[in-house]
Amino acid sequence: MNDDVLRVEGREGETAPSSNRPGVWREVWRDTMGRVGILTLLGILVTIFLGPVIFPFDGQSFGASATSILQAPTGSHWMGTTELGQDVFRQFLLGGRISLYVGVSATVIAMVLGAGLGLVSGYYAGWRDTVLMRITDFFLVLPTLPLIIVLAALFGQSILITSLVIGLTSWPQTARIIRSQVLSLRERPLVMRVRSLGAGDWRIMSRHILPNVTPLIFANLVLVLSGSILAQAALAFLGLGDPVQVSWGTMLHNAFNSGAMSSGAWWYTLTPGVGIVIMVLAFSLIGHALDRVMNPLRRGAR
Amino acid sequence: MNARYFVRKLSTLVVTLFLTVSFNFLLFHVLPGSPVQLLARSGHYDAAAKASLTKLFGLNHGLLTQYFIYLKNMVQGDLGFSYTYRKPVTTVLGAAVGNTVLLVGTATAITVFIGIWLGVKAASRANSLTDTAITVTSLTLWSMPDFFTGMILIFAAGVWTHVLPISGIETPGLTVGWLGHLLDIAKHLILPALTLMLVNAAEFSLITRNAMVDVMVDDYMVTARAKGVAKKVIVWHHALRNALLPIVTATALYVGMVLGGAIQVETVFSWPGMGLLIYNSVEQRDYPVLEGCFLLFAIAVIATNFISDILYQVLDARVRNN
Amino acid sequence: MNKKVEALQAQGISRRQFLTIGAASAGAVGIAALSGPVQSAGATTSSAQRILRVGWTTPPDLLNPFTFTSSASFEIVSLMYDTLLEYDVNLKSSAGLAQSHTVSADGKTFTYKLRSNATWHDGKPVTAADVKFTFDTTAKNNLGQAAWSLGEYLSSRVVDTHTVAITYKKPQAFDPALAVFIVPQHIWGSMSSSQIQSNTNPKPVGSGPYRFKKWATGQYVQVVRNASWWGVAPHAAGIIWNEFANADVMTQSLASGSVDILTEVPAVLWNGLKSKPGVKAAEMESFSFHHIGFNVSKAKTSKGNSLLLDKTVRQALSYSLNRAQLVALALAGHGLPGSVQLPPSFGDWHENIPKNQRFDNNPAKAKKILAKAGYKVGSNGIRVDKHGKPLQFRLIVIQTTDEDVLAGQIFVKAAKAVGISLTLETLDSTTLGNIVYNSAAPDWDIFIWGWDANNPDPDYLLSIDLTSQIGGNNDVFYSNPAYDALYAQQAVAMNRTERINLVHQAQKMFYEDAAYCVMWYQSKLQAYRTDTWQGWKEIRGGAVYNFTRSNYLTVKPK
Repeated sequence: MNDDVLRVEGREGETAPSSNRPGVWREVWRDTMGRVGILTLLGILVTIFLGPVIFPFDGQSFGASATSILQAPTGSHWMGTTELGQDVFRQFLLGGRISLYVGVSATVIAMVLGAGLGLVSGYYAGWRDTVLMRITDFFLVLPTLPLIIVLAALFGQSILITSLVIGLTSWPQTARIIRSQVLSLRERPLVMRVRSLGAGDWRIMSRHILPNVTPLIFANLVLVLSGSILAQAALAFLGLGDPVQVSWGTMLHNAFNSGAMSSGAWWYTLTPGVGIVIMVLAFSLIGHALDRVMNPLRRGAR
Repeated sequence: MNARYFVRKLSTLVVTLFLTVSFNFLLFHVLPGSPVQLLARSGHYDAAAKASLTKLFGLNHGLLTQYFIYLKNMVQGDLGFSYTYRKPVTTVLGAAVGNTVLLVGTATAITVFIGIWLGVKAASRANSLTDTAITVTSLTLWSMPDFFTGMILIFAAGVWTHVLPISGIETPGLTVGWLGHLLDIAKHLILPALTLMLVNAAEFSLITRNAMVDVMVDDYMVTARAKGVAKKVIVWHHALRNALLPIVTATALYVGMVLGGAIQVETVFSWPGMGLLIYNSVEQRDYPVLEGCFLLFAIAVIATNFISDILYQVLDARVRNN
Repeated sequence: MNKKVEALQAQGISRRQFLTIGAASAGAVGIAALSGPVQSAGATTSSAQRILRVGWTTPPDLLNPFTFTSSASFEIVSLMYDTLLEYDVNLKSSAGLAQSHTVSADGKTFTYKLRSNATWHDGKPVTAADVKFTFDTTAKNNLGQAAWSLGEYLSSRVVDTHTVAITYKKPQAFDPALAVFIVPQHIWGSMSSSQIQSNTNPKPVGSGPYRFKKWATGQYVQVVRNASWWGVAPHAAGIIWNEFANADVMTQSLASGSVDILTEVPAVLWNGLKSKPGVKAAEMESFSFHHIGFNVSKAKTSKGNSLLLDKTVRQALSYSLNRAQLVALALAGHGLPGSVQLPPSFGDWHENIPKNQRFDNNPAKAKKILAKAGYKVGSNGIRVDKHGKPLQFRLIVIQTTDEDVLAGQIFVKAAKAVGISLTLETLDSTTLGNIVYNSAAPDWDIFIWGWDANNPDPDYLLSIDLTSQIGGNNDVFYSNPAYDALYAQQAVAMNRTERINLVHQAQKMFYEDAAYCVMWYQSKLQAYRTDTWQGWKEIRGGAVYNFTRSNYLTVKPK
């Protein structure tokens, strides 16, 4: 429906960026924001993957008595305790994994769908393109978060379903962007020549098209990843999270609903909240840097 | 803009609307279980009472018949019957729509101005300290979940200072004149609107910055500058006008996003709009209301997209003529 | 209230109207920010005009006295409508719309003398014909909350304008006059049954102490004092029930003085209120319990695990649980460990099972009775029956009820310790309700849920698990003719001592059968301001949000 969306997000018709990926990442690393993003991300990954190993969280161990509820940070509970007397810090370490897990799996689904449909649509053009793009446009105009909420309310709250629901609603943008890139790539002399030499569709796609759109997929991936993490947090906050697999969003839901805020238990609200902000910010910084690398003009005119 | 383009867009609009309506129906009618069963728990209904409730909610037909009835009713402006309130969904939605429009409208109006202004500032001194500061702040705000921003504001304004109301749209039972009443609503509006603004102004400033930077390196801009046209004129007059195109498109996307934000913000601040209605309907599994809310949201986004398409064409023609 | 905004909320919005209002309020934002702290409606007006402001997170569903289902609706309806008899501050039956009544010797006919000065809110007098109409309609169409009490209803007879005689097929130990809200015949009389059911009752007309003023859906309900009410005029000029989406924000509103009393406060927040100046945090007994229910359906179509039909397994599961720990954690200590289905708030109706006879916190005993019944520990630590079928069950819980989810997690752990494996699944309340109440082919093993008494009379809670309630309220499909018989006997026992004895026997029988494993009796945690209204009485069941409306009628402005 709205081809022009691409002018903002997709940069239709620009020259394809270098297919030399290490080059792209080196450039991102050279960008200050990009470097900060990458370092932050590495820090988060180390924390949430090593953290729970060093400080394991037992989801079924609760405080011994009513006094162990919402304790302020102490030597034994670094970030205080929850409304059930559980350790906030340990829950935080494990919760990050769940948040990231949902974000990544939703993104993988969205990318496979989006990039796949975009490739097929752009490469074959014709009726396949028309049909696929009508479907894409339809999903593109549905308001994402309301749709995710409705689907989660209808189909369930396990993290698997949450990932599916977010993934299945986040692909259309990617499909659009990839398609327009592929449309311009397939008209390139090199691709035309290879085709005239009798190369099969699969070969052309995997050897000549895909490598050229990979950086674009990555730039999009980072955006979708940020969006997915935020969407999962919003879902969990609205009470549509998996209560057994506690994510940062679920922690915020529990904090808000148990009255941690007006009880002055700032540690319970801030810990998972800041976790989400830092994680999303890390991806946003990388995305911003990628964007600058791939669109050198964006670096600005003097 | 030519008539053919308009007609093509309009027909797409109609088809999209029809698909949305059908999709909506399908989503909500493939579910197992019956709402009547649950009402029976507290109501002590016998079989006859249950049957009459089933009829009341229009669940006594086959799926296909229900679909046609649904289409027919929708054309007549009937969106079904709320399980919880036992009122027509349109009545339940009626009050909420106005409140959401007030919240989102106010927030958007301010957001657009602040966002564009910041974006232009950042772009006009690309790579300067100002640019970096604006960009990093925007990215950070953008990375904050709307509800988390709201929680922090509640804590700051409600728990520490008690200055601003943190819940609802008005002080119930306040007996003051219409002006006092308006002020009361305005006061309740500040925190939720601010929350939406913080997150969305960030998005706008990022979009504007990028669009501006793209435009500023265009040949004719470079020429203009070489000719000695003042930078301020170039930035605010020429560049922004050209950058408006992508900004208009972005606004269409924005509507979808701000509605998502409204759900969270209204929940946090008990703002009695569509978002809070969605939240409550999810809790109570009031599917007809949920269905109605989703439909309205979808229509709002589809309509904005359509308008932005048309506006784009108009603006584009004008830019080219210049 | 501003007419424009009112109209706007009532009928949606015209674009032009919105623009005016939107612009005005956008301009007003600046002014409002300077205008200082939040005003509270109640505190600034003179004491005769003071409005009582109640805060809750539980929205009312309907204000139709025949069809409402929520406790919030009951609260509002009971102030707009009257019952013939009502509960006083001690939850004892006292005169209501009927100033006196007599019961025939056989306990089947109740004659009520109505107050001659009672009128409907529209000015028409309340007559015996209205009472007859209400009872006839409720019983005939089996309508609403009160219908359960009219199962044996026979007929009503108008003796004179202000006297009505109501006859039942059997003696009535519980007088239904306490439960049936009397409605005006001149408004409801012309409606068919389905019209009554679908009537949203937008402008309720009752005979109660307060008249309906306004319901802003999702925000508040407002009623104003009825100057021509038959009773002693209450002090509050009006009542507003203010709806909050979140308990935390609600609690802060009480602390800052924008509401006067809260109907229910979560434990953690309640603890926080104890130290707030000008606020009294009140803990009272409630008429509620939360329980673990076992699917004991004997229907061939039941897809529940048949091992739960063995009473030993159910008792062992009950033994495995430490209820004191549940109360300490899930309720932050605000409640009592559960046993029988009538909470201690019922006073002498409650059967007190001696500590040493309770199925509670005794894993060793659980293991012992399981071993004795032939459930041997299998290779993975899970016990199996003689045919090698493992004691492995599904446990479903409502995910938004945090204390139940926590209890579920604790239960899983406790059961595992005695060799029973449970898999916990959390669902939304509608789905859980649909699954549990699928009486034709129930496909579940164990759930966690709760019951609220809708009456301080034991009848209702005892009636839930009758055989005749399968397909109705009976959530575990318990069926025991001996229990049914005890219930039937107490329902017609006009002698209180005799009835108490029967009620005790019924509770004991149900407890032994362990189809329910009552986890706890939660406290009613409320909080009110001490500087706005005075004279709050703390009653078992709650100062407000209870079966009696007495606090609303007696609190005075300070």
